[in-house]
Amino acid sequence: MSQDGQDHHDPQNVAWSIVSYLLSGILVWGGVGWLLDWWLGSGAVFTVIGILGGCGLGIYLGYMRFTRS
Amino acid sequence: MTAIALAAGVLPAGAGTRVFAAEEFHAPGLGLFKWEPLFNIGPIGVTKPMVLAVILSGLLIAIFWAAFRRPQIVPQGIQNVAELGYLFIRDDIARNIIGKKGDKYVPLLFSLFFFIWFFNLSSVIPFAQFPVTSRFGYPAVLAAIVYVTWVGVGIRTHGLGGFFRAQIPTGLPKAIYPLIIPIEYASNLIVRPFTHSVRLFANMFAGHLLIALFAITTWHFIVQNPTVLGFGVGIIGAVMTVVMTAFELLIQALQAFIFTLLAASYIGGALEESH
Repeated sequence: MSQDGQDHHDPQNVAWSIVSYLLSGILVWGGVGWLLDWWLGSGAVFTVIGILGGCGLGIYLGYMRFTRS
Repeated sequence: MTAIALAAGVLPAGAGTRVFAAEEFHAPGLGLFKWEPLFNIGPIGVTKPMVLAVILSGLLIAIFWAAFRRPQIVPQGIQNVAELGYLFIRDDIARNIIGKKGDKYVPLLFSLFFFIWFFNLSSVIPFAQFPVTSRFGYPAVLAAIVYVTWVGVGIRTHGLGGFFRAQIPTGLPKAIYPLIIPIEYASNLIVRPFTHSVRLFANMFAGHLLIALFAITTWHFIVQNPTVLGFGVGIIGAVMTVVMTAFELLIQALQAFIFTLLAASYIGGALEESH
């Protein structure tokens, strides 16, 4: 299932996979942060942390997947 | 462009000769993509993009029917062209991306490519002049077909659990997995079909808007509101309409190719052995 070996054929695919990781990271962890804020009534603190952290994790995931292997 | 028209409109017109535009220039917008129903079939209002989709599908079927109705060992005429198309999909997409196992998916990829290409091409066909794929519903359904195929092939190859396990990247530090796995699943299962369809939709949408903008500029400054000053702008509009149309021809084929290539890449990913 892993796209390793597949994605390397096509730079366009790699680029879009990384965009997809970034978006997903922001959506998933930003979403979790938003839920935490909603639950704890803590304003937007965890939403911001989640968005930034998710963005970083998305970059990390894209980097690990397409530069190593 | 609007700024030029505004400036021209604000300035007083010269006595006798019309040097400055009197009417304002209206840039095309979302209205280009909104169609009133031409007629109704039951509760369904049939719009121009729907009619185009049906006509183009019929045309495609007719072309390939004519090509492969009585196939010759030594292909001639339309069969020759159609076989070239088939070989392109089989060798350059299916076998190149998926490998020999990809031959089974050539019919799907072949249909995807030619449907999308024709649906894009209608942007530059006189009287049609609208890319069917710039209505989001069409790319969305095509991406949904690929998505269902990807999930189906993945579960058949790896089993339900294996399908989900195989998506987890390997070789990362253990501590990072709880943070990474939700991203990987969100990326593959939610974001990817979205980007797959939006890429095609957005390209066709923007291309159509651009061509329309330059065509309307030409129309406005040369035919509707000809002025001495505006004429040059109109000429630029006319040249850019031709240039952008040529560019669109390239983008249309390229986007059909990329959509199909990604479809092959997803299916190929599902067929791969898990780690």
